[in-house]
Amino acid sequence: MKLLKLNIFIGAALLLSMGGCKKILDEQPRAGFTPDYFQTLQGVQGGITSLYAHLRTIYGQGYYYNTCETGTDEATYAQSADENFKVMDISGQGNITSSNSRADVIWGPSYSDINTASGIIENGGKLGVSNALLAEAKFFRGFDYFLLVQTFGGVPLDLGSGELKFNTSAIRTSKRNTVPEVYTKTIFPDLTAAVNDLPDAPRVTGGVTKTVARLFLAKAYLTYGWWLENPNNIPTYPAVANRTDPAGHNAQYYYQQAYDLAVAGISNAGANYLLQPTYYDVNLAQNDRNKEILLWADHTENSTYTGGNIYDGNGPNGLNQDNYAVWMMTANYTNIRSSTSSTTWAAISSVQREAEQHLGRPYNRMCPTIGAVKNNFPDKTNDSRYDGTFTTVYRGNWPKGGLTNPTLYNANFLPVTPGSAILSFLDDEPATAITYPSGAGNSNVGAGTLPGRPDWVISPNGISRLIYPGLWKMGPYRTDNGTGLGYPNAGLTRPFNIAKFSELFFIAAEAAVKGATPKAVTGPYANDGSARALINVIRARAGKWRFDNNGNVAKVQDNSAAMIAATPATIDIDYILAERSREYFGEGYRWYDLIRTQRWTAYASTYQICGAAAGDHTIQTVTRSIDNHHYLRPIPQGQIDAMQSSVEEKKAYQNLGY
Amino acid sequence: MCTAFLLLLLTFFAQAQNENITVRGRVTNESGQAVSSASVALKGTSIGVTTGNDGSFQILAPANGTLVISSVGFATIEVDIKGQTTLNAKLTTSGTTMEQVVVIGYGTQRKEAVTGSVASIAGDKLRDIPTPNISQALQGRIAGVDISQTSTRPGATMQIRIRGDRSLTGSNDPLVVLDGIPYIGSLGDLNPNDIKSIDILKDASATAIYGSRGANGVILVTTNRGQKGQKARVSYNGYTGIQTVFAKYPMMDGPEFVALRKAAGVYSTNGLDEKNDVNTDWQDLMFQNGLVTDHSVSLVGGTQQGSYSFGLGYYQNQAVIPSQQYTRYSIKASVDQQIGNFFRVGFTSNSNYNLSEGNQIGIYANLSNTPISNPYNADGTLKKTVKMTLDEQYVLTQDRIDSLHDAGTWLNETRGFASYNSLYGEVSVPWVKGLKYRLNLGGDFVQSNNGGFTGAGVNNILATAVSSANISNTHTYHWTAENILTYDRSFGAHSINVLGLYSAEQTKVNGSSMSATDIPNEAFQFYNLGSALATNITVNQGTYQQSGLMSYMGRVMYSYNNRYMLSATVRSDASSRLAPGHKWHTYPAVSVGWNLVNENFMKDIAVINNLKLRAGFGQTSNQAVPVYSTLGALAQRPYNFGSAYAIGYYVSQLPNPELDWEYSKTINLGIDFGMFRNRLTGTVEYYSTKTEGVLQSVGLPPTSGVASIVQNIGKTQNKGIELTLNGTIINNANGWTWDAGFNIYANRNKLVELADGKTQDIGNGWFVGHNINAIYDFKKIGLWQKDDPYRSVLEPGVDSQIVGSIKVLYTGAYDATGKPTRAIGTNAGSDDRQIMDVDPDFGGGFNTRVSYKGFDLSTVGVFKSGGILISTLYGSAGYLNLESGRRNNVKIDYWTPDNTDAKYPRPGRNISGDNPKYGSTLGYFNASYLKIRTITLGYDFNYKLLKGSDVKLRMYATVQNPFVMFSPYHKESGMDPETNSYGNENQAVASYQRRLLTIGTNTPSTRNYILGVNLTF
Repeated sequence: MKLLKLNIFIGAALLLSMGGCKKILDEQPRAGFTPDYFQTLQGVQGGITSLYAHLRTIYGQGYYYNTCETGTDEATYAQSADENFKVMDISGQGNITSSNSRADVIWGPSYSDINTASGIIENGGKLGVSNALLAEAKFFRGFDYFLLVQTFGGVPLDLGSGELKFNTSAIRTSKRNTVPEVYTKTIFPDLTAAVNDLPDAPRVTGGVTKTVARLFLAKAYLTYGWWLENPNNIPTYPAVANRTDPAGHNAQYYYQQAYDLAVAGISNAGANYLLQPTYYDVNLAQNDRNKEILLWADHTENSTYTGGNIYDGNGPNGLNQDNYAVWMMTANYTNIRSSTSSTTWAAISSVQREAEQHLGRPYNRMCPTIGAVKNNFPDKTNDSRYDGTFTTVYRGNWPKGGLTNPTLYNANFLPVTPGSAILSFLDDEPATAITYPSGAGNSNVGAGTLPGRPDWVISPNGISRLIYPGLWKMGPYRTDNGTGLGYPNAGLTRPFNIAKFSELFFIAAEAAVKGATPKAVTGPYANDGSARALINVIRARAGKWRFDNNGNVAKVQDNSAAMIAATPATIDIDYILAERSREYFGEGYRWYDLIRTQRWTAYASTYQICGAAAGDHTIQTVTRSIDNHHYLRPIPQGQIDAMQSSVEEKKAYQNLGY
Repeated sequence: MCTAFLLLLLTFFAQAQNENITVRGRVTNESGQAVSSASVALKGTSIGVTTGNDGSFQILAPANGTLVISSVGFATIEVDIKGQTTLNAKLTTSGTTMEQVVVIGYGTQRKEAVTGSVASIAGDKLRDIPTPNISQALQGRIAGVDISQTSTRPGATMQIRIRGDRSLTGSNDPLVVLDGIPYIGSLGDLNPNDIKSIDILKDASATAIYGSRGANGVILVTTNRGQKGQKARVSYNGYTGIQTVFAKYPMMDGPEFVALRKAAGVYSTNGLDEKNDVNTDWQDLMFQNGLVTDHSVSLVGGTQQGSYSFGLGYYQNQAVIPSQQYTRYSIKASVDQQIGNFFRVGFTSNSNYNLSEGNQIGIYANLSNTPISNPYNADGTLKKTVKMTLDEQYVLTQDRIDSLHDAGTWLNETRGFASYNSLYGEVSVPWVKGLKYRLNLGGDFVQSNNGGFTGAGVNNILATAVSSANISNTHTYHWTAENILTYDRSFGAHSINVLGLYSAEQTKVNGSSMSATDIPNEAFQFYNLGSALATNITVNQGTYQQSGLMSYMGRVMYSYNNRYMLSATVRSDASSRLAPGHKWHTYPAVSVGWNLVNENFMKDIAVINNLKLRAGFGQTSNQAVPVYSTLGALAQRPYNFGSAYAIGYYVSQLPNPELDWEYSKTINLGIDFGMFRNRLTGTVEYYSTKTEGVLQSVGLPPTSGVASIVQNIGKTQNKGIELTLNGTIINNANGWTWDAGFNIYANRNKLVELADGKTQDIGNGWFVGHNINAIYDFKKIGLWQKDDPYRSVLEPGVDSQIVGSIKVLYTGAYDATGKPTRAIGTNAGSDDRQIMDVDPDFGGGFNTRVSYKGFDLSTVGVFKSGGILISTLYGSAGYLNLESGRRNNVKIDYWTPDNTDAKYPRPGRNISGDNPKYGSTLGYFNASYLKIRTITLGYDFNYKLLKGSDVKLRMYATVQNPFVMFSPYHKESGMDPETNSYGNENQAVASYQRRLLTIGTNTPSTRNYILGVNLTF
């Protein structure tokens, strides 16, 4: 009897434990998504969010930012630069190679994004996703391909499962399409569909709209027009026999398309997009996501959603998704010293590292050239854009760092108080020569003195690789500093701006300069549609002041008339490029503007800067050896390495000269 | 299928009947004297009793059964009962080791009959080293088993590698089996006092029985059980001791640091809190003496039909870092009960609760503080921070930590609870002699909860830094069901043992974690994260994994006349981790043995008492395919649309239904021998393991839109030899006895093939033809001296920067005049970095025990020779050898114009980033060392004071880590040469693959002085 009970017990246990024999071999993930999720509506929507999120991996990424600016007339490498920055200068500091060119930052994320977009476009229709939503995916595919084709030349349209198809294969070869194929098979149709199907007002804050799509389509037409025209015979890759358009159109046709779309963008923006009243307002952190900004990579003051850690630059993704481009062009202003004593020099840090728009984290990797400050911004009085671009005055903030001294002593042992200018970059060369120290001097950064001035001074000709004005427009801002310095080492919690409404004026003007037939612009910015009229809209706004940023005082002034008066009667491409630099200095446009117009060699083959040692204020003129092959970046080594191809095939895959 | 099998089994239950009789008898030796404590066991079962002082025994056994009688020092004999109720047996003296029974997979076997590679160590031998963790006690004890320290924190467990690494991305940890059930927990969850023996299966012919989990070797842990009829005995084992810092980190003192900063010339002015006449020993302000305490009580006994064993344990270790400690409470129970003549049931339960505290405290900030900075204010209070020339650092001393700990504003706790349980029922099938069915059911539950809290401004130079708190938890559930049918029978000279198994098991792990900042009330610590503002709370991704394994297995062990042995195994495993259609795989193994000593021609060679040749071959695999990885994966990325939050998804891994295990094929050859009446015994083995289909994450071209795919492409290989010797050098001569053991082994690990015929994968640190553990870096060949030829070509720069800096090997070409054609560098096509193998040439261990009149003195040591030791303290990863005077520096002999034959470069020159150029090369040392792990002096009170008493008492004093020899690293730094960190831990910039073990800024290793007692009554 006892035995029987036992048998029943064991038998029952056995049955219980083995009941689901087969079932234990099944897999059901419950905490991770598999690619099947893209077959659901929620998956498609999440995919679209991911398309926006990928902007963060590119825009605000400091090393990619470097490739857009270093080596142009706007910027060179600074004192703490490493190889990534030095080679981009093309000034004998090493060659740009497939390994050290940081254009890889766009290569990988773009293809991941293109694949996601293709997956959405393929599955979305079946799942009943609206055309407006699908148009967002098409916008991003067109956007990514446009970025790729400008940077690398012709790039693959087939990721492994067929042209513009969602890739599910582990294929390890790749074949590049030609530039015209990329434009005509994806960029134009995708962005055209986006223009047609996107709404006028954004679906979400920062969402893409008809106007955004018009800007990029117009810019793509313009760029393709330049490519067809090829005024300076810059080679393309993969090579094409002659630059003919598969659709049989000429460059002029595309300039006109660009013009028409840009003007349509200006005329039809309605109340969704507007120019800000002053240039200062465009870039003022408190005014982020304003109506002038068409597209941005967003960030917020929340570690989970900003992509990084809001307390330091060591978030879960490293710096991969952080906005930290501005660190690169920030000099180490924290080395500036004042004195606690009015008689003997007792050094103390008076401008401390702070999460404030003028300051932020110094990386000292890039700096503006002397020419950028002197020539690109010749008028620093009427034109508010110099003041609205740079930090030219570093002000004392020591109480925020816990120092209680009410007064410190600075240049000429003159007293300074919190908020006083500690170091100023002068707008022009002063009448009296600046006395610079040999070496670091009391300022500890080699800054000079002028009689009677309590602030250290550096004139435009004294700008060096060590100490130079910072980029106020892109500096950090956050709301949780309290009375302290905040968290200056964290990635920025501000959005990184990618495209602005103002650029529609520049595109239309450039197209007009290239021969597009003007037509009247309607709406709030009504004008005759000529290049000069379009540019004057921008210049008039640049003449309006409401705040003197570096003087740190209110300044209500309207210099629009003077600005317009100074506009030349005939606008040429060089004037457009000069205006673009004033409007978008340091925002990552420059290299693309110069290669599009093929004016890079002309603009950037020499530049001026002082040396990297403290106290070195001797102008050096540096020569760059910009070659035609530099107009395309090398295909990243990661791509070459991962391909299962012969050495010859790999060589043929790489752009010429690399 | 399943059901049919179950029905079959149920039939066995219903039918099982036979008649048991009580057998009485006496066991004597050759001269007729009683043999006490001899084991009398019923063959093919675990039923057994021990003889009393007069050699008598009584056992309930089937009338047709066989008794196996054994005792240490005697040859084991088998006696058929044949219905007799009285059975006297005579044992003959034999060697000591050869008659042991060893635990093999799903059963036991006489050591004499073993054909695979199985190494055993008894629990009491393990306890020679008083430690909370058997992995620590195993170090250096078994040839081919390499045990490395991965952390010096209290409660840390060791990394175990049996015969090298095989897998590149999967686990190389061996399978642990606890009392027959695959064990999912940590070895740290087991109280060493509960362990009876550990048996390690090293080769595939022994591990193939564990099929898809056998490739990394198997550790079989057997816990104490009572024996039938055994008198109840209570044992108490306890020890307590202090831990002192083995060696302080070799940092500079004030004057040395001032000289370095001056020589570097980088920082001409001191920081606000620095003065050249200050000499602060920051480590003295931090470290304390640690304390270790262990108490274990056990009760073991038996009744006529059953037996039981209970154990309770308490262990605590307070570290040398204030507030850091580990505490464990453990409880163990096992019961076996015979029911009727043919049934036996029993259960085993091992549970523990453990608590780790204070692991948030790092020592980098302490070590890197300059010795010339003064931590005290003028009024004697501790400064919050010290301002050095460039850095400001939070002041962390024992006083500071204690006060924060008392205030409850800085803590980190991990609380673990684990319960491992198994239940069995066993029935002997009466009408087929030797046939038995057994059901094993296992059920385990493991949970771990972590909580951490850092108050506002704590451990932060910003007084305004907000508080932060985090919690996380994981739960693991695991069940196993095994049906085992055995047939064990001898027919004359033929012995056969057949085993069939059907089993299933499933593991589920899930976890969650969250964190918050700015906790409104600091008293909440990490107990109410919800009290923070919703925007300050982050709930992290949850984890969930469920995997199952289903298996059939069969094994035949045959032996003829104790001379020729054969063992053959086949196992089929199906795993949920593989895609449908690819789930099943079958693993074969076969091994043979020849007991030469039992051949007639050996009879006359008296000096040899044992000689056995073994050979085996088998295939196994490694469950390296991560759960769900055949399905592909989407990665998530959050985004904000202004203030609206959203989550995006993109494809990060393509599905791969073809994924398969990594298969290892092993050949094993062995010789076991015993000489001089088995006073010298030993084993020599050779093995070769080839692993194929090694999983690699293959990088796809970025143009495929997906970063990578996991594929089975790659081959690795391990070859090695092992030698183990045990001897009784003096056998009770004038009361002196001296036993010694020695083992030495060499493993040659090699990566044979990577994806696409590539010879190297620099990103992952894999190089064909080299160890899986290899470093890729420049090779330091000295320092640049003023007149070195071609210096300006190889290392361009001005003399004042380059002379005295690190000179590394140049591998490029030379022109006709012998001039190098380029500078040293890492540009495309001019990479001068070298591949350096990390594994040692050989390693091993030794132990010796001398006893005299109740005293015993024993020593256990471990050694290894060759290989590379990575010390991030000296390399550039640790930021403790910046040589710039920015922070404190390790004490080094550096180049100056007056000291040009120094080992370390000229301070402050030829800097790359923050470190001397090629500074990483300063962190590589010869890894050789010989270390005495323990010296124990014990006294057995039963020798005189308690002679003949039932109370057994032994007391001992142990010193652990007394000294280190033959270690170049120890010689230079004074430190313990054992690693203390994974390759990406305890350094300023994570610079190495995690799998490379390093010495970094972890809790210092200790030298321990312990007093202990073993009491049984």
